[in-house]
Amino acid sequence: MGILENRFQDNVVVASMDKLLGWARSTSPWFFQFGLACCAIEMMATAASRYDLMRIGMIPRSSPRQADVMIVAGTVTMKMSLRVKKLYEQMADPKYVIAMGSCATSGGPYWQHGYHVLKGVDLVVPVDVYIPGCPPRPEALIEGLLKLQEKIQADRPLTKKIA
Amino acid sequence: MSEDQDKFIADVVEKALQGDMDAINNIEDRVTRSKAKAALVKAKREAKAAATEDTSKSEESKTEESAPVEKSLSEKVAACLNEKFPNSLESEDVNGHIQMKDKNWFEIAQYLRDNLDFLFDSLQCVTGYDFGENEDLEVRYNLHSMTHNHAIEIRIKTDRNNPKVPSVEQVWRIGDWFERETYDMYGIEFEGHSNMTRILCPEDWAGWPLRKDYETQESYHGIVVQKVKDGWE
Repeated sequence: MGILENRFQDNVVVASMDKLLGWARSTSPWFFQFGLACCAIEMMATAASRYDLMRIGMIPRSSPRQADVMIVAGTVTMKMSLRVKKLYEQMADPKYVIAMGSCATSGGPYWQHGYHVLKGVDLVVPVDVYIPGCPPRPEALIEGLLKLQEKIQADRPLTKKIA
Repeated sequence: MSEDQDKFIADVVEKALQGDMDAINNIEDRVTRSKAKAALVKAKREAKAAATEDTSKSEESKTEESAPVEKSLSEKVAACLNEKFPNSLESEDVNGHIQMKDKNWFEIAQYLRDNLDFLFDSLQCVTGYDFGENEDLEVRYNLHSMTHNHAIEIRIKTDRNNPKVPSVEQVWRIGDWFERETYDMYGIEFEGHSNMTRILCPEDWAGWPLRKDYETQESYHGIVVQKVKDGWE
């Protein structure tokens, strides 16, 4: 930390504001539970005591306004896609989306003949992390969430972006 | 002596068969008594065999006689409807289901529900059916009676270009959602239904998904529905 090093007592930590914000954000991304199909069962299992998502600071929220991450867990139908979009727009910035399972990433088993299924939730909202699987195991979901935390941590919200 | 004894035993056995066991028990000579008892057992066995033969014979003859008379439930219902509502059946042939015309369907449904012989108080399913291009559509009703524990299937054909069938929503309340689902998937309109709208697909959905000539729409509210899926199979 250059000139700031060793200038204060031991109980003072010195860091850049940018980094601190990234760290704070990444360690408590509350997720908006979006159980649409069988993936929701795995998501619930992940949040329950055996896999315990609280370890990495994540709690399920039922309102888009309290959530930072939207886990789209399941098949998104055409009818639902409009609602997904609306709910995404209701979330406060910064917001992230995880596409969990084959259906949310690409339409999954409904790719060929599902007339009413959205072929991937990325057609409607921007997706940060895709998790393959049908449905993915809780370990896979946790891996995806850790990847997302890395991504959030790498964000530098105060730094001016060079276009 | 032996002839006398035989006659005596036959007499006693006869008495015993009519319920008077004392006749045998009171015989003083032990040998005669045991002979009499043996004769009684034999007589009883023979009587039993004869009786079962008789009943089995009579049962056989009964089934042979009544088999052609016994009608299936569908046939009974069809016959009853033909009598009560003439010209309501599409065909007299009853092959596990009743093929009907849509004429009077509402009244017939009420009759089937309330008639004490049938009491079809439960509409279990309403299904649509598409026979293919330029062919008719069909609605199928599965009725079940909780009281009598019997069930029938009723089928009504309707024109593909103007599919209309009387609604039975007011007869069985569950018909409300069943008919809306059939409307949603096949576009069959149920006349007299209080809320004939789509139930599963969005209201602005185009086409009837379960018809054979259905084509997936290209986009929905600006969202592209991908049709060409190269490099996947």
